[in-house]
Amino acid sequence: MQSLLPHLERITGPRWVRHRRAELATYAMDGLPTRESPPAAVVMPGTREEVIAIVRELHRAGVPWVARGAGTGLSGGAVADPAAVMITLTRLNRILSIDPARRRAVVEPGAVNARLSEAALPFGLAYAPDPSSQAACTLGGNVAENAGGPHCLKYGVTANHITELEVVLPDGSTARLGSRGGEAWGPDLVGLFVGSEGMFGIAVEITTRLVPLPRAVRTSLADFGSIRAASEAVSAIIASGIVPAALEMMDQVCVRAVEASIYAAGYPTDAAAVLLVELDGSEEAVVGDGAVVDNLLAQHGARSITSASSPAERARLWQGRKKAFGAMGRLAPDLAVQDAVVPRSALPAVLDAVGAIGRRHELVVSNVFHAGDGNLHPNISFDRRDAQLAARVHQASGEIMEACVAAGGSITGEHGVGSDKRDYMPLIFDAATLDAMCAVRRVFDPLERANPGKVLPIHACREWRAGGVA
Amino acid sequence: MTGEERSNSGRTAVGSGASEPADSHDRFPTAVRQLSDRSSTAVPPLPDPLAPCVHCGFCLPACPTYLATGDESDSPRGRIVLMRALALGELPPTDDALAEHLDACLGCRGCEPVCPSGVQYGRGLEIARARLAEVRGLTPLARIVLGVFRRAWLWRPAFTAARWLRGTGLFGVVAGEGRMGFAAGMVAATTRHCEARSDEAIGSPRHPIASSAAPWPPRNAGRPTVLLFRGCVMDTLFTHVHDATRRTLEINGYDVVEADGQVCCGALHDHAGDVAAAKALAERNVRALADRADYVVVDSAGCGALLKDYGHLLGTEAAAAFGAKVRDVSELLAAAGPVPPGPLDLDVVYDAPCHLQHAQGVHAEPLRVLSAIPGLRLRMLPGSDKCCGSAGIYSLLKPDMARAVLDMKIAEIAAALPRPAYVTTGNPGCLMQIGAGLRAAGVPIHVVHPVELLDWAYLNSE
Ligand SMILES: Cc1cc2nc3c(=O)[nH]c(=O)nc-3n(C[C@H](O)[C@H](O)[C@H](O)COP(=O)(O)OP(=O)(O)OC[C@H]3O[C@@H](n4cnc5c(N)ncnc54)[C@H](O)[C@@H]3O)c2cc1C
Ligand code: SF4
Ligand code: SF4
Repeated sequence: MQSLLPHLERITGPRWVRHRRAELATYAMDGLPTRESPPAAVVMPGTREEVIAIVRELHRAGVPWVARGAGTGLSGGAVADPAAVMITLTRLNRILSIDPARRRAVVEPGAVNARLSEAALPFGLAYAPDPSSQAACTLGGNVAENAGGPHCLKYGVTANHITELEVVLPDGSTARLGSRGGEAWGPDLVGLFVGSEGMFGIAVEITTRLVPLPRAVRTSLADFGSIRAASEAVSAIIASGIVPAALEMMDQVCVRAVEASIYAAGYPTDAAAVLLVELDGSEEAVVGDGAVVDNLLAQHGARSITSASSPAERARLWQGRKKAFGAMGRLAPDLAVQDAVVPRSALPAVLDAVGAIGRRHELVVSNVFHAGDGNLHPNISFDRRDAQLAARVHQASGEIMEACVAAGGSITGEHGVGSDKRDYMPLIFDAATLDAMCAVRRVFDPLERANPGKVLPIHACREWRAGGVA
Repeated sequence: MTGEERSNSGRTAVGSGASEPADSHDRFPTAVRQLSDRSSTAVPPLPDPLAPCVHCGFCLPACPTYLATGDESDSPRGRIVLMRALALGELPPTDDALAEHLDACLGCRGCEPVCPSGVQYGRGLEIARARLAEVRGLTPLARIVLGVFRRAWLWRPAFTAARWLRGTGLFGVVAGEGRMGFAAGMVAATTRHCEARSDEAIGSPRHPIASSAAPWPPRNAGRPTVLLFRGCVMDTLFTHVHDATRRTLEINGYDVVEADGQVCCGALHDHAGDVAAAKALAERNVRALADRADYVVVDSAGCGALLKDYGHLLGTEAAAAFGAKVRDVSELLAAAGPVPPGPLDLDVVYDAPCHLQHAQGVHAEPLRVLSAIPGLRLRMLPGSDKCCGSAGIYSLLKPDMARAVLDMKIAEIAAALPRPAYVTTGNPGCLMQIGAGLRAAGVPIHVVHPVELLDWAYLNSE
């Protein structure tokens, strides 16, 4: 490794190669505090050409590497083991072009999600996928995780908004996937790359769609006396055929943490659960659908329904939701954010089960999630310095995953598998399917040097290598 | 658990009039608090102001040094990792990389208001810097600079000479790029750029309180008295701002009084980790200024932030009581209205000083004061929530990072359309840093303190 550093420094200049112990410690985790491992070195390319040169150099030296954006990932994806080099892309943060007529933007991978929507705003456009971390996370990270967000219920996730990618493959060669216009021809390689969690290469140029800002928006807050009633209201809204722009739920623990923070949004702290419902579109549609939705909410036991009367009020309602994870630091120093999808009809039962698991392990579990998608985020607050407690958290996380899978769900909705969920993969995929995934990965990365040890259970790939025995 | 117990910094946190997000711990709902306490019975909660950090990364885009470098070692979240490692003994204070990245922090506290968990970054930094200074000592340059500020007989002649030279116009001529050119630009930026009446015109000479034994000055019926904190840089290079402060306060119904025996506020020392020097200066100021007027008014945000926090620094009742009386000039003016001034036909952008917005939690008041001026087209500078890179003596100690941070600020100003005539901000360091940056970049925009504009507007009111 020591012999590699001068080569890297020659590419980027010494300022952009970090290797001292303290510096590496600041790159030992992403947004998930339970996976901690400092990389061998951190290199910060300033241009696309430097990315290519770095990957070539690492390929030549046979050293594995991990790409990193803002490190807000919640599955331990942007964490490297001590033998791997971290390639941090935050310096490549330009918005290269915005084409309002064709509604496209071209960005570098380190561009921050929210900056893109800001840049598009003067044209009356926005980048639709809005993860709650959008003020910090990068579009490269969004592509790698196929990030979602509250408004993806109506507008679709990252994969629906990327039309073209330029990627650096693990051997240092480059490839363009897709096309600017997004016309479909041949296999959907962009779709394959989006969500590949840094295992297929590094996205160095990203072309996105931009969507027109809705003409009218209506954001309402409804509060419920029980989680079950709120979940049933969610099912009823979806069953009505109305597609809200967003439909989010927060339970009492979460509401109270938010209300104690500077992002206090005026959520009622005595509610068992609150729903945030946003409708958008034409003025008439919003008014018409709004009346139907209010009715459904009331029928299912909403104790009160308030609609934001100004853009500022609307922003405040959303701030509380978007900062909810962070506000959880008020409960305990660490937070295990879980992510799973269940059929919406199973929501009430699964939420009951999650609550029971928390009580059984005597853990503080809170829920804040994309209810409209059935995308759950049960979060467990804890202190990782308490080993016994951490073990209970691990145990409970596993049980929550099993409960979701048993209800016909999946182990991740938007945060990815990374290192955190890797061991749950056999819960939903059989050995043959995992083999097939390994095979696809090796098309891009035959030597398995890009983000090694993530997503795919190690034994699965080994078996594949040993001759595909399942 | 109250905010006081949480910040186990060896000092007692006492309410200081500054509204800190951290105080919201007090509002923590009981039920949730009990849950959280139970969840960590085996290990007591981390006794430090950084404990609530969940590593979410929301603070990254608020941090000027992270924005300038993209390097997490220069981000709040990364520095919290370093400070925790320091506290837990995982990294020693002798670790050069650790010290380098903590030194590169501006101390602007831009990361605090965006943190949903209420991490008290500033308090954590104070503790870490004090520990580093204790073990490593200050760098020679920092020692010299801080030594000067500790002794009025050193800084007063130095700044007075600079003011005198400024009068010759020399600095304006040589201001520009390079370290010397930039330094000249900083002094040139202290020049008064807008009209103001002379002291006599308003007919309110200073009423000095000669010594601490002097009797309470007779009050004008019902007019609150305010004592002007003079400071060091403000009292030499920015006397015109002090004059404007005095005049505008008088117009707004305050009696401005003066007191001898005051010294530098100690903020520069405190930020550098030289707590002993900061305390010594603070004690002298409390002795000289306590109980002499209804308010202590400050027109330098950096000084005001620490003066309000003297209770925390010194841990005494007297210091806390003193801190509770401290107000930024904009707070007093806004509270009084302000009295409507005459018009100014100007485009002005406001850039909030970090030590006003983040440290003191004062946001609306300067805007209220400026919006009172008819005809003034006021805009908030985009990125006003970010530091300009001045940060006390930071720009001397870390010139490269300071410039990288400043460049982002200058780019925002240069891009502002229509082009403003003035950038206005209420802190001497920011005025000098931004002023020098504009000169270096050849952007013909001047810097002024908000009270200077108000003062000017009053000139137009007859
Ligand atoms: C408070 C909070 C709220 C969140 N809310 C949401 C949410 O609502 N929806 C959601 O989907 N996620 C959410 N997340 C998770 C996270 O923000 C997303 O996964 C985001 O996409 C990660 O982006 P990043 O830049 O931080 O990537 P990182 O964490 O740095 O990296 C994530 C993965 O992407 C890879 N990667 C990074 N850049 C590239 C590149 N250029 N090319 C190839 N691979 C790359 C890395 O190797 C890693 O595997 C949240 C996180 C937090 C902390
Ligand atoms: S925003 Fe707060 S909790 Fe999140 S990483 Fe920064 S300091 Fe930690
Ligand atoms: S105080 Fe300012 S420079 Fe330091 S970490 Fe916080 S935002 Fe960054």
